[in-house]
Amino acid sequence: MKMLRTRKEERRAYLLLVLPAVLLYFAVVAFPMVFSIWMSVSDYSGGQIFGGSTPVKLIGFSNYSRMWNDKYFWISLKNNVFIVLISVFGQIPLGFVLAYAINRGRVRAKGFYQTIIYLPCVISSVIVGILWQTIFSPYGPVTELMQRSIPGWENNLLSNPRTAIIPVLLVMLWMYTGTYFIIFLANLQKIDQQVLEAARIDGATEGQTLRYVILPALSGVIVTSAILAISGSLKSFDLIYAMTGGNPARRTSVLALYMYDTAFRGAPNYPLANAVSTFMMAFSFLLIIITKLVEKRFGGREE
Amino acid sequence: MNMVQQTIVDPSKKNKRRKSYLKSSEVGLFSRLFFGVVLTLFSVLSIMPLVWLALSSFKTTQEFQMNRLGLPVNWFFKNYVFAWEIGNMGTLVLNSVFYTTISTIAVVLFSMTAAFAFAKIKSKATPFLYGSFVIGILLTVQSIMVPLFLMANLVDLLDTRLGVLIPYIGLGLPIGVYLCTEYVKSIHDSIIESARIDGAGYFKIFGRIVFPMAKPVISTLSILNVLSVWNEFMLINIIVSRESLKSLPVGIMKFSSALTSDYGKQFAALVIGLLPLLLFYLAFRNKITEGVSAGAVKG
Repeated sequence: MKMLRTRKEERRAYLLLVLPAVLLYFAVVAFPMVFSIWMSVSDYSGGQIFGGSTPVKLIGFSNYSRMWNDKYFWISLKNNVFIVLISVFGQIPLGFVLAYAINRGRVRAKGFYQTIIYLPCVISSVIVGILWQTIFSPYGPVTELMQRSIPGWENNLLSNPRTAIIPVLLVMLWMYTGTYFIIFLANLQKIDQQVLEAARIDGATEGQTLRYVILPALSGVIVTSAILAISGSLKSFDLIYAMTGGNPARRTSVLALYMYDTAFRGAPNYPLANAVSTFMMAFSFLLIIITKLVEKRFGGREE
Repeated sequence: MNMVQQTIVDPSKKNKRRKSYLKSSEVGLFSRLFFGVVLTLFSVLSIMPLVWLALSSFKTTQEFQMNRLGLPVNWFFKNYVFAWEIGNMGTLVLNSVFYTTISTIAVVLFSMTAAFAFAKIKSKATPFLYGSFVIGILLTVQSIMVPLFLMANLVDLLDTRLGVLIPYIGLGLPIGVYLCTEYVKSIHDSIIESARIDGAGYFKIFGRIVFPMAKPVISTLSILNVLSVWNEFMLINIIVSRESLKSLPVGIMKFSSALTSDYGKQFAALVIGLLPLLLFYLAFRNKITEGVSAGAVKG
């Protein structure tokens, strides 16, 4: 009898404890996710979903093929790939070098450097975008500095459609390197100092210690950082929205902005927008799986 | 570079242990110099744009056009007064504080209760429920934005505070439930069992034992949530169009696109926009960097 009562109490407690989180999560995240995938294969054009005058039909993958044939989709995808590359091969290595420098160099005022290098990451990316847009603009300090060394230099950094993405990538390097710096620093400090000391006493050079002791110890962190960088890069929206608005001529657009333009600017095309966001999810998963596979390969070789 | 110098200084590479120990201390000097230069350079690059912004915010727009790099000749503080009034900054700051505080409290509370159930009460539902939260960590806002917009429209939550808060809480839960569950799992079962034997109910155990013991993870989660909600822009930008409900980033964006060539006021608005989080960061910088690296590595 007592057993039964405690079981019942257990169940009731479980239900009440998980209920708020589960309800909110399924209503606001899980269901919309499924809804979005469904919309991407439908011809829904706003209005009532059930019982409207023209019922919603499932039309297969024609939204995806429309996306596939849109040149702005490809421009956006290309820019997203650039952002993934600058994150994985720019922010992460630079973040590591800085963390290694602060850790290995026994620098004084560690906290000071740490505070400053991470600082750009805590500013809203909208503000960062507006700030840098002004810095790179023809009226900004970059023009002034360049004109001092090259008189008559014309600033078309953000107005030339072919190169406008480069300043954006530089700002991303400026802003997000601090995140990886912080992550690497925390994990470098976890490495056993005695192991490093032993390697040095055995005559290992700086490079050897790095190659055979430190990097293998950090391989897991590197992979996590890469995954973080990939999923973060595909999400990027605010910074570009504020800095260039995707222009000139939509040449600095990214998938998130392309999706936003499709859904919320001009005549909304919800199915197409959802095809884009579903593609973004799938692409992100694919890149993460590839990263994991690469890890397995190299992890195996290193042991 | 570093390596080359090292061999020049000490060519006797193959020598015995004592020598190589000596060498390592010599390398220390060079690498200290080299690393110091790298760090200083990057720190200067990190801070310069912000210093430039702060200085420029004290110039009138006319002065800025003549003097784009130097110190302000006449310190013009009125930019701030104008930006604060025209941009409605008081309301924006209060709104941002409101969204951030309420959503963070809710995310922490709901994540913790769910985490306690998932980690310490046996149920067949746990693998499915917990698993779906974990999958949610990788989700992007974009993939639920259109549905959220349509749903909010359907239930009349567009342009309301609740319409902003509910999605913010929902979006904070995946990482929250994950971090908290992993943490609560590490609390010993025997502590909870002995409280059970003493006759304490689950809610009492939660309030008196589990929640207080989970302080480290609660602080990590709060920091991650504050940073992400305060800076969130895409979702609130489509949910809210009424001025009185806008958050700081949305308001700043609008302000700056309305006053593109009035640099003085624009810079002052940007400074006002970044100041609250900057102060938060400077006050809790160690906790924040700890929280970010913990959240990132586990996520």
